[in-house]
Amino acid sequence: MGRETDPRCFGRAIETVALNSAEPPTEHVAEAVPGQPDFVWPTPRNAYVHVPFCRHRCGYCHFSVLPGRLDLAEPYLDALEAELRVLGSPRPVETLFIGGGTPTRLPPQQLGRLFDLLETALPLATGGELSVEANPEDITPDLVRLLADRGVNRISLGVQSFSAPKLRLLQRSHDRRSACDAVAMAAAKIGNVSIDLIFAVPGETPEAWRSDLATALELPITHLSTYSLTYEKGTEFWSRRSRGEWVTIAEEDDVSMYRDARQLCERAGLRQYEISNFACPGFRCRHNLAYWQGRGWYALGPGAAKFVNGYREVNHRSPTTYLRRLQEGRSPVAESERITPTQWACERAAFGVRMLDGIDLEEIRRDTGICVATLRGRAIRECVERGWLSVAGSHYRLTDAGLLMADGVATAFL
Amino acid sequence: MTEHIRNFCIIAHIDHGKSTLADRLLEYTGTVQKRQMKEQLLDDLDLERQRGITIKARAVSMRLQLDGQAYELNLIDTPGHVDFHYEVSRSLACCEGALLLVDAFQGVEAQTVANAYAAMEHDLKIIPVINKIDLAYARPEEVAEEMHQTLGIDPDDCVKVSAKTGVGVDELVRSIVRLVPAPGGDAKGPLQAMVFDSSYDDYRGAITYIRMMNGTVRKGQKIRFLRAGSQHEIIELGQFVPGRKPCDELKVGQVGYLICNIKSLGDVHIGDTISTTGNDAAEPLPGYDRPKRMVYCGLFPSDGQDFSELREALERLAINDPSFEFEPETSDALGFGFRCGFLGLLHMEIVQQRLEQESDVDLVQTAPNVTYEIITKRGDTLTIHKPQDVPDSGDIEEFRQPIVRCNIVVPIEYIGAIMKLAQERRGIQRSQEYIGTQRAMLTYDIPLAEVIYDLHDKIKSATRGYGTLDYEMVGYEAADLCRLDILVNGNRVDALSVVCNKADADRRGRAVAKKLKAEIERHMFEVAVQAAIGSRVIARETVPAMRKNVTAKCYGGDITRKRKLLQKQKEGKKRMKAVGNVEISQKAFMAVLSGGEPEQ
Ligand SMILES: Nc1nc2c(ncn2[C@@H]2O[C@H](COP(=O)(O)OP(=O)(O)OP(=O)(O)O)[C@@H](O)[C@H]2O)c(=O)[nH]1
Ligand SMILES: [Mg+2]
Repeated sequence: MGRETDPRCFGRAIETVALNSAEPPTEHVAEAVPGQPDFVWPTPRNAYVHVPFCRHRCGYCHFSVLPGRLDLAEPYLDALEAELRVLGSPRPVETLFIGGGTPTRLPPQQLGRLFDLLETALPLATGGELSVEANPEDITPDLVRLLADRGVNRISLGVQSFSAPKLRLLQRSHDRRSACDAVAMAAAKIGNVSIDLIFAVPGETPEAWRSDLATALELPITHLSTYSLTYEKGTEFWSRRSRGEWVTIAEEDDVSMYRDARQLCERAGLRQYEISNFACPGFRCRHNLAYWQGRGWYALGPGAAKFVNGYREVNHRSPTTYLRRLQEGRSPVAESERITPTQWACERAAFGVRMLDGIDLEEIRRDTGICVATLRGRAIRECVERGWLSVAGSHYRLTDAGLLMADGVATAFL
Repeated sequence: MTEHIRNFCIIAHIDHGKSTLADRLLEYTGTVQKRQMKEQLLDDLDLERQRGITIKARAVSMRLQLDGQAYELNLIDTPGHVDFHYEVSRSLACCEGALLLVDAFQGVEAQTVANAYAAMEHDLKIIPVINKIDLAYARPEEVAEEMHQTLGIDPDDCVKVSAKTGVGVDELVRSIVRLVPAPGGDAKGPLQAMVFDSSYDDYRGAITYIRMMNGTVRKGQKIRFLRAGSQHEIIELGQFVPGRKPCDELKVGQVGYLICNIKSLGDVHIGDTISTTGNDAAEPLPGYDRPKRMVYCGLFPSDGQDFSELREALERLAINDPSFEFEPETSDALGFGFRCGFLGLLHMEIVQQRLEQESDVDLVQTAPNVTYEIITKRGDTLTIHKPQDVPDSGDIEEFRQPIVRCNIVVPIEYIGAIMKLAQERRGIQRSQEYIGTQRAMLTYDIPLAEVIYDLHDKIKSATRGYGTLDYEMVGYEAADLCRLDILVNGNRVDALSVVCNKADADRRGRAVAKKLKAEIERHMFEVAVQAAIGSRVIARETVPAMRKNVTAKCYGGDITRKRKLLQKQKEGKKRMKAVGNVEISQKAFMAVLSGGEPEQ
């Protein structure tokens, strides 16, 4: 008796359209919102570009990637150029995030062309943030020079760990040494370095994790993102776990590792500002803040998700389909959903509350015309009673206990 | 007067092609134009089309010109599924003949036998029809022999047709005209009509389906329902062709409908007799037995505030389906809801599906159970529709359960498997006879409780899909039963109690506790699940507390995906019921059905 996916149950209309048509690429223009004639969607001031190239696909990765297919670098850039053309006039942005995949897998010449394209179509405002993701093994003096020359002022390195067995398990090809060198090189030229660390991998002990953290916090970094290993459907790790080959670590250990991360970062002067993110004062990732704050953003490249003029749209996840569609003059968008101001308000609360500063429902009401506090009053009260949320006027923040139950809180707002 | 009328129904095992044959007859007689034809045209309920089966019997009136003579053929297409056998029996009472259809490949099956016997009991002229002769593996001669062996039918009488291609339909129509007796009755006698069915029209109110036994009924006439005692004026009458077609009068022998400005179907009693209002009224006809509710379950709104909405939805449904009944029930765990009775599990599923489609109430359904009888030490007889009403064992003198006679038709190589299955289900073999050379019909008396939940599926899987099952009630018998209770964090959850055989109790208890552990989501605290008989705990499982519920990575691309996921979970929560402070899902309420299997 399966009856879980009845859209009518959501209590509001969700229009998800699978776009498969021969439609040319277009951008959604601002449309009037029924019943709220004065309502305007925010103009995007942020942009994300997905670069699908990678050395190989790691067992936990579910992103849109093309391992080892650098022969497609030029066609990819052509497609990206076509996709950027749809924007028409240049769109100045305050943050630009080039992620992947591994953008730095592109050879210098193509990397140069990528920056050329983006500078024209998505010029960075003065004082803007330009982030690039990279793998430690790709970092060379030439590369960091190139990035710095092209205005990159933030680099995010996929370090994941410093321990050899853990790196092997995660299928990463660098070692402790090259990771530390990469951070040092990037810090010298670009200054603002973030690293990613994964914890709670099978067999990992809290001690081993603390040692990873200690190594990281000795390095000249301004920012750290740390994630408990997530098993995504369709990944190699997922099937290993379902086949019972892998035993996930005990939940207590996972929880205590998270606590360790919070404690050690705090001590090292990296303040936690989001569930998985820590930064030195002044170094929060402005681009990611825009997502949590519910701003609009452009997104380009395979599998990239954008939010423009009330539409949430996702490009086709398959890089080859993405290329083909744009080559044929068709839209790369695979899913398009028009959201209502109510949905927007609820999402802003649900995802905004991930930030440790919390959310102000009054501010959300001013922007959207929707009072989430009334709409979700009962569920919000439950979260407060459970000790997951603290309230001060219209301001809501996750408590320490709430940090571990953030999805429950998000559900209350949705 | 009636000599050119033929009233007959089509009866068969499920899927043997009744509705498809009806299509051909509608076409042959020109009742429906070829371009308006669609497959199983008479199955016009949404649920019938979704499931591809007939649920409700349908009557149609057809005109036929044969060898220069005009005839009126009134056909009733019946459902084959055992849950709706009641529809067949009341159709039989309106007919003089029955087309007994048998699939030329599958041969005689369990419901073939049951329906054939029912038609014989009604003294109907049976025309044996072997259908689907177009199939590559059709074996009409063998099937005719099977019919001979099991039902005493002369193989030479079998008409061979393909309801798909229309082959043999002409011969069949001629046989109907030649063999089905014209209806009896007296055209001049006082009005006497049998109410054999009813339906509800949002604009016209109750539509009463009648078979004329004597006399004539006219538009504008005042009539009386003899049993109900109510009087009405006829606003419209007519026949189904297959839509309603009004006419001025219906005469003896005809089948048609009446519309009388009756607001509720509750006021039309199936089996009632219609006659005139005066002193010259006819005698009431014998009528029908009421349909038997075989299974019961509790239906509760997940949100207690929806109680009256659920009541309205149930009332609306009962208007269209008088075979289902409901009465208010209160559960400590689930609050206010309804105990509902159904003809069988398919019927239960269909009613629930209609409730979901036609109202917005999220439902929690408890596991289905049968009706038990208990003689108390004080000598009272209790009828138990829900396990939580079973008194403490010390107060029980005798615990009785319903027994059904099951006819199971299987290829002979599966006889052993079926015997084993029937024994596990505490069946007592009554007989075994061969159908042709390759198949056999096994007859067992089995407790209904062992049959309803999954015996049919089990027979299918033990016989590669070839086995078929039919059953009918035989009565109540004493058995060694007990009430198995489930405790969640120390509190007995009444809606999770089940009745089971004492010998199975330990095994069931362990299985249910385990299943519940898997179905109850983790909470902020530890949840203990125990199974107990009286004060004796026989199994215990623990659902550990949830420590963490957070998505580590949540960036631009994750927002839509994550939102959908969280919303889906939230929807799931709606179907949960908080028992104390533990949320129990719909699936968990069904978990108590597990553990029917013996341990390996
Ligand atoms: N090949 C073939 N298939 C047939 C024939 N008659 C019916 N069928 C198929 O058998 C299936 C069942 O047909 P129905 O007419 O729905 O059977 P039914 O007896 O009315 O079924 P219930 O009302 O659910 O008991 C359908 O898929 C039909 O297309 C026939 O003569 N030949
Ligand atoms: Mg049918």
